[in-house]
Amino acid sequence: MRVGQRAKPGRVVARVILALLFCLGCFLSLVPLGRAVMRSSLLLPALLSASSPAPLKLIGDPVRYTSRTLSTPNGPVYLDIYEPATPAPPIPGGREAIINVVGVGYYRHDPQLINLSESFAREGIVVVNIGTPAMFEFKISAQDAQAVVRTFELMEHWPGVNPRHIGLLVICAGITPASLAAADPRIRDRVAFIAVLAGYFDVAELLRNLGTRSQVINGHVQPWHADSTPLYTLARTVSDLLTPTESRLIEGAFPLGKYNPPLTRQQQARLSPAAAAFYHLLEGDEPGSVDRNLAALSPQMKALLVRLSPKSVIGQIRAPIYLLHERNDTIVPFSQSLEFAGALERLHHPYTLAGYGIFSHVTVESNLGLAQWLSDGPKLFMAITRVVQAGS
Amino acid sequence: MLPLMLSLCWLGLGMLIGALANAAKLRPAAWARRGWMVVLGIGALVALLGGWLGAALLGLTFAWPTAVWCAVLGVALLPRLIAWWGARRRAYRRPRPI
Repeated sequence: MRVGQRAKPGRVVARVILALLFCLGCFLSLVPLGRAVMRSSLLLPALLSASSPAPLKLIGDPVRYTSRTLSTPNGPVYLDIYEPATPAPPIPGGREAIINVVGVGYYRHDPQLINLSESFAREGIVVVNIGTPAMFEFKISAQDAQAVVRTFELMEHWPGVNPRHIGLLVICAGITPASLAAADPRIRDRVAFIAVLAGYFDVAELLRNLGTRSQVINGHVQPWHADSTPLYTLARTVSDLLTPTESRLIEGAFPLGKYNPPLTRQQQARLSPAAAAFYHLLEGDEPGSVDRNLAALSPQMKALLVRLSPKSVIGQIRAPIYLLHERNDTIVPFSQSLEFAGALERLHHPYTLAGYGIFSHVTVESNLGLAQWLSDGPKLFMAITRVVQAGS
Repeated sequence: MLPLMLSLCWLGLGMLIGALANAAKLRPAAWARRGWMVVLGIGALVALLGGWLGAALLGLTFAWPTAVWCAVLGVALLPRLIAWWGARRRAYRRPRPI
């Protein structure tokens, strides 16, 4: 440009666009955070629309699915593995692996779960979904932690996986085996992160929520409507500690997917004091006696509640914890994640907490309004970025 | 099929960046005639190379941003480098006074 000659606006705009493209390209490919942002940008639409969009299919890797069964002293562990079919690229040195601890009522062919797994695999991440007999039978089992530990150790030696980039994605009741595994001395120093979607913190407190049909949010007691799923799950989980008659009565009172009429006085009379207390907590018919009912539980029941609670091992977990929870969740109250976050804050443990309206418990809501997308989309984007940053 | 499609996409992307470089008048003044086509070609070629380099080093997802920044770098630097090199060669071949 000669002296005195003015640059044309079109030329300046083109130069600015080129400079921006250069910076953006470098950021999205050379900087680890940028690579995580790139992955999140492709994953977010896939998760919100519950299907892989065309850009992800075009840009992403082809996916290979394998099924494997591990033998453990506690029974078989069924693994559904979704991984990129291409070799791992040299940068950043091995793939990230996500162990998906799905929790009770795990349905292996759930379209949203398959979409989630495939979407991550298209983005170069190995995803393993864990299923155990207890999970399939709607039972929360502390012994399933062994399944998570075994899977973690398997992934450490999986071709192409960087053993330092293995994290846990936990859905609902998967928090019990996942937190116990993350606290296990065999792997606790190597777990990259724990992302928890709609998990609980304290099962005894969850029983209190059920007993009072309320939750405490920021010091205010709010009514809470409970779905039948937590009632059914807790009834089945505790049934091993009951007599066959008690187990049949309580499990019959809390079926999955519907609300049966309360037990009659004659039926209640056949329950031991501990079983009766447990029944009233689930039924929520004695909100004023919740403390008394909790105290009346048998020592075995109380020990089980402690064993199933992440609260009991929180001090032994090393990995950062990302909590996500639907604000109006009817299966696990949002207050559980608030309590979880409060405990992590007191321990100065790295964590994040985000409340959503975009999910119905753990499944993506359909027909979301624009306001909801705008309000929850960025939070979900940040959450995905944190999850994929470990291996980006 | 996929490699061919990706290659075509990156060639197209590179040509777009080449067009932007033409609009930004990044080509040397000596390239008056058909210089714009050379810039388009440089953009396409460097984007293609960048795309495959990105796919090989970082994975398919990051091939796209790699193709973008390589193409921008290519259209910004290569024309000047080629022009400078051409001028240097001409100067070298010119008979020197004894």
